[in-house]
Amino acid sequence: MTHETVFHAILSLAIQGTLITFVYALAALGLAVVFGLIGVINMAHGAMITLGAYFTWACLSAGLPFALAVLVAVAGVGLVGLIVEHALIRHFYDKPFETLLLTWGLFLILTELIKIAFGSDIRTIPTPLPSAIAFLGFHIPEYEALVALLSAALLGAIGLVFYKTSYGIKIRALTQNREVAGLLGLNVAATYKIVFVAGAMLAGLAGALMSPILSIDPTIGNIYLVRSFFVVIVGGIGQLLGGTLAGSFLIGGSQTIFGAFSSQVIAQTVVFALAIVVLRFRPTGVFKEK
Amino acid sequence: MSNTRPVAPAPRIDLRSESAAAIVVFAALALLPLMMGGYVIYVLPQYLIYGVLAMSLGMLWGYAGILSFGQAAFFALGAYAMGLAMKAGFGASDGYLGLLAAIVIGAGLAFLVGYFLFSAGVRDIYFVLITLALSIMVQQIAISQSSLTGGFNGMYIPRMDLALGPFGSVSLAHDRAIYYLVLPVTIAIYAGLRRLTRSDFGKVLVGIRENEGRTLSLGFETSWYKTIAFTISGAVACLAGALYGAHAEFVSPSLASVAFSTEVVIWVAIGGRQSLLGALLGGLGVAALSNYLDGLSPVFWQLILGGIFVAVIIAFKGGIAGALGRLVARKDGTHG
Repeated sequence: MTHETVFHAILSLAIQGTLITFVYALAALGLAVVFGLIGVINMAHGAMITLGAYFTWACLSAGLPFALAVLVAVAGVGLVGLIVEHALIRHFYDKPFETLLLTWGLFLILTELIKIAFGSDIRTIPTPLPSAIAFLGFHIPEYEALVALLSAALLGAIGLVFYKTSYGIKIRALTQNREVAGLLGLNVAATYKIVFVAGAMLAGLAGALMSPILSIDPTIGNIYLVRSFFVVIVGGIGQLLGGTLAGSFLIGGSQTIFGAFSSQVIAQTVVFALAIVVLRFRPTGVFKEK
Repeated sequence: MSNTRPVAPAPRIDLRSESAAAIVVFAALALLPLMMGGYVIYVLPQYLIYGVLAMSLGMLWGYAGILSFGQAAFFALGAYAMGLAMKAGFGASDGYLGLLAAIVIGAGLAFLVGYFLFSAGVRDIYFVLITLALSIMVQQIAISQSSLTGGFNGMYIPRMDLALGPFGSVSLAHDRAIYYLVLPVTIAIYAGLRRLTRSDFGKVLVGIRENEGRTLSLGFETSWYKTIAFTISGAVACLAGALYGAHAEFVSPSLASVAFSTEVVIWVAIGGRQSLLGALLGGLGVAALSNYLDGLSPVFWQLILGGIFVAVIIAFKGGIAGALGRLVARKDGTHG
């Protein structure tokens, strides 16, 4: 093997790794927001991603343009999140284990509703940007590059909200000390509601944007739930931006590298196993001080 | 007697009444094949095996407070172990080898995973998600290693013979024969787990469930107790899987799916997580009902099941067994 082919192979892995990092970050963001800020692990996160993908499919079938379909999907999943939060979740914020089981029940119900509404057949969405960008002799699919860019922009926007706006600072105060934040006049219940709905909308957005890359079936979200959870844990809970990005890079990057030597299935299995090992030794995330 | 209680009490099940109920249930099950035949006798062992799987989770979740979404992973491993043992063709003892291998694999894997995680203080949500990942991993390995497992298409397993040494061997191809193998095993596992939960070991598990920090400060090495509980649970789930493989004569990767793992949690939640008999009957009853109603309307039944699950979590923490236990307790109260 010449140096050039080695260089070529490494560059190819780097490009794939970058794309997958931002896609995983996009998928994990909703979970990271809800888990990191209000301590709820939303087990229905995967089903919400699936729902976002199906809403997009339904809107496209009805003749809407792709961008509009994505917006409808985000609003639709956000509405589902709002209903669920108001009816159930808000009564259980101080019982993390109950919310875990409740959101799991919700996952079951959502999955079955998806099956009833859309059937169990695999749906595909044609990619809205079928061409590829030529770059150093590589062809990068335009749509995937766009998703990566949107994901990066979203991370930036969320960073701005949390670190530069007064509302973001209040939410972070709430995370640190709920009682005191409440005493200082923050509407705790409303803030929890906003965070949960924002998480649902982010899951819907992830499903909508990923829908052209996936073959959509009612269980597609399952693996994204586990993957997103590992992204959040490996990156470090509560470190919204850096943690999500670092976690996505470690999970997505290692999957790309293992995938180059074996099948995707094996790579996935190895990465999950590695994530479990990391979780065992660094339960607060790879980069966080012990 | 004053009725003031500082916290809402966990639904307590009267131990004597559970024993009596267990005897009635098992006696009825033992006599059933004398009165009935056909499909019921063919399919009942499968539900009993599901009941055993449910008990493996009931012990872990109800007593030690450890929820596992990975019981299906162990169950599938057991079924594959049985299939591979039967395929290996060592002769008359293949079936025993399969059962033994399942117990060893289940206990071994659960011990490794449990010790690895519990000794570092991994718990609650983290443990739940890791066990969920365990199911996905086993399923993906089963799909990808198709030369060994048959991949997506699954693997056929001939029914084992029950070799009885000098007394020859009994073919389990007859429905009644395998029924009378599965039932005693179910009863033995119920009795064993029940003894375990009522022993000093079981009391430490309950202590861990209620307050792990305090149990630790009393001098109990809680991570060790949790590891043992998970090991026993894994061995039982894996043994149930081997029996399932022998009975169903077939195993496929969907046995390790997230959907099946979920079903086990639902059985136990509905049956009653703090009662082994509740878990057993939850597995048996919900699986039987699912099978029946799936034929009528598969998706709507799953939806209803999801709704029942949410209702149990919100309002009936003890499941059916807990509600019955409370009812009996109230009745006793009015009489006494």
